[in-house]
Amino acid sequence: MKNIKAIAKKEFLHIIRDRRTLAMIVLMPLVQLLIYGYAISTDIKHLALYVYDEDQKYLSRRLIDTFEQSAYFDIKKRVSSADELYQALDRGKAKAGVLIPPNFTKDLLAGRGPKLQLLIDGTDSNPATVALNTSQAIVTAFMQREGLVPVSVAPIDFRPRLWYNPDLKSSFFMVPGLIGLLLQMLIPMITASAIVREKERGNIEQLIVTPIKPFELILGKIIPYIAIGLLITVTIVVTSGILFHIPVRGNPFTLLVLTFLFIVVCLGIGLLASTLADNQQQATQVIMFFMPPSILLSGFIFPRETMPLFVYYLSYAIPLTYFVKIIRGIILKGLGFAGLWDQILPLVLMAAIVLILSVKRFHKRLA
Amino acid sequence: MNTSVAIDVRDLSRHFGKFIAVDKVNFSIDYGEIFGFLGPNGAGKSTTIRMLCGILASTGGTASVGGFDVNRQSEQIKEVIGYVSQRFSLYNDLTAQENLEFYGRIYGITGKDLDDRIEEILRLTGLQQWRHQLAGILSGGMKQKLALANAILHKPKVLFLDEPTAGIDPLSRRALWELLYQIADSGVALFVTTHYMEEAERCSHIAFISQGRILKIGRPNDLKDEMTGTLLEVECSPLMKASSLFQKIAGVKGVTAFGTTLHLNTSDMERVKAEVLNAARSGGIDIKAMRPIGASLEDVFASLSDKQDEKH
Repeated sequence: MKNIKAIAKKEFLHIIRDRRTLAMIVLMPLVQLLIYGYAISTDIKHLALYVYDEDQKYLSRRLIDTFEQSAYFDIKKRVSSADELYQALDRGKAKAGVLIPPNFTKDLLAGRGPKLQLLIDGTDSNPATVALNTSQAIVTAFMQREGLVPVSVAPIDFRPRLWYNPDLKSSFFMVPGLIGLLLQMLIPMITASAIVREKERGNIEQLIVTPIKPFELILGKIIPYIAIGLLITVTIVVTSGILFHIPVRGNPFTLLVLTFLFIVVCLGIGLLASTLADNQQQATQVIMFFMPPSILLSGFIFPRETMPLFVYYLSYAIPLTYFVKIIRGIILKGLGFAGLWDQILPLVLMAAIVLILSVKRFHKRLA
Repeated sequence: MNTSVAIDVRDLSRHFGKFIAVDKVNFSIDYGEIFGFLGPNGAGKSTTIRMLCGILASTGGTASVGGFDVNRQSEQIKEVIGYVSQRFSLYNDLTAQENLEFYGRIYGITGKDLDDRIEEILRLTGLQQWRHQLAGILSGGMKQKLALANAILHKPKVLFLDEPTAGIDPLSRRALWELLYQIADSGVALFVTTHYMEEAERCSHIAFISQGRILKIGRPNDLKDEMTGTLLEVECSPLMKASSLFQKIAGVKGVTAFGTTLHLNTSDMERVKAEVLNAARSGGIDIKAMRPIGASLEDVFASLSDKQDEKH
């Protein structure tokens, strides 16, 4: 026990002395939080809209106002010819354009059913879909408000409601998952470097002749990194609460316990990588190899349900897959252990496998 | 068992597959003694040290260190030995004091005991003023002193030093040896490997190892005395041409160049003297002086390698 404490203490000194690693541990989470929280937004709002209004009467103006009032479109310019609008779409200045024909108001009031055209830039399918759906809703709402169509009584009282993230903010979706991504990125790397460093710099030669046991060495070395992982988690949860108003709906204790479990898996990966590598560079490369699949396939950004079946099954082998569900479950849905067993058990299994494997290999390397 | 014996090695061997790294070596070292282990690279020095430190199992023979069996009691051995490696193995990004504190705790020294012991060691090694410097920025000599300080922190009964002075300047080397003598005087047995003959001279006993076998073992002076009357120093030129000529003379076991002279190893001094003069005359070698001399350890070492060559 005393040996473990002595090693943990020494390891903390290494971390404090190593400015680059320290900067990475402190800055990377914050920078990523800002990038994923602010910059990478999958919310589609404020699409640039060009308007060509040939009518210029009160109903055409009211229609344009309706578009403007929705958060989804911003009226960028009112143009005076159809060609001007087409060019704006060609150049990407406009994402959508409304063409209101002459006599729009008159025909509408006379019940002659005037034509109204909306052109959408379909290059990027996501905003195009949003533009298509919301424009239909906007026009329907306009017609109902102006009393142009009777408000019918539907046979089904259909009331869809959005749970957990009613405003569909992408930061709610991204930031909790980001905690998992950061842990999986940082923890294996710094653990592997820390272990390989002893070998690389020859420190192990001195340690090996002391009465210290391999498990004491491993435990002592990883304790500081568990603390760092938990610290990163707390920092992000608190910061994202302040910046993005993301509430923690579940039990913070549950969050910490399950984050600890995930950190153990990450540490195990780092240990395993360190037994495969001879220097810090190799260790980093081994770990970097697993990064892209973790980001892309874990459901951190893209929903796993839309993946081809083979890739979908492959994503079951990624620890982050389970942790993304766990952390979103706790933070956004307020789930506890009971609701998360499906995710917890695979992680426990993974932790056991990587730890047993790495301790076995570690013994061999020491001898 | 004699309690004055620190290291006792009997027929110790280590095979790696078919390769025999250490072949039935025997020696014993008393407390307070400095035992020099000499030999070329790959002779089996490191393998021997690793076995004696209990980190590599032997494949034959027995050895005890500090009264513990190297194969069965390696954990106890680690408590009573200190080790200074050839390459600086302490933490460069920790200060001298932090390194000592860390290793002290590993050996179970804590609290005031640790503080006191570190003070004592820093004073002994003269490292007080460097205590808060990062180990990485210390000079080579200082680093080795720190490594030594670190190795004796827990008051080991046996101290292993693997080429402790490799790559450090002569002044620092001398200072380090002063320390080694002090440590030996306090009753610690020292096991030192080295390449330097002048260092070997400082040991109380030395052993020459080559290809896994111990060729010679004894006190430096005894080994040199054994060679008395067998060395002929010839000052001549051109040196290398003379060397190849003299090598062919019957009764000359070996020729080694020293500065402007050649040392001829022979058991038949008078006849060889005459032959050398003959060879020089016919070979155009200019002989300035020729006299029998006492041996240095280097000569002893050279003669041992000559013998090895004869066998092959």
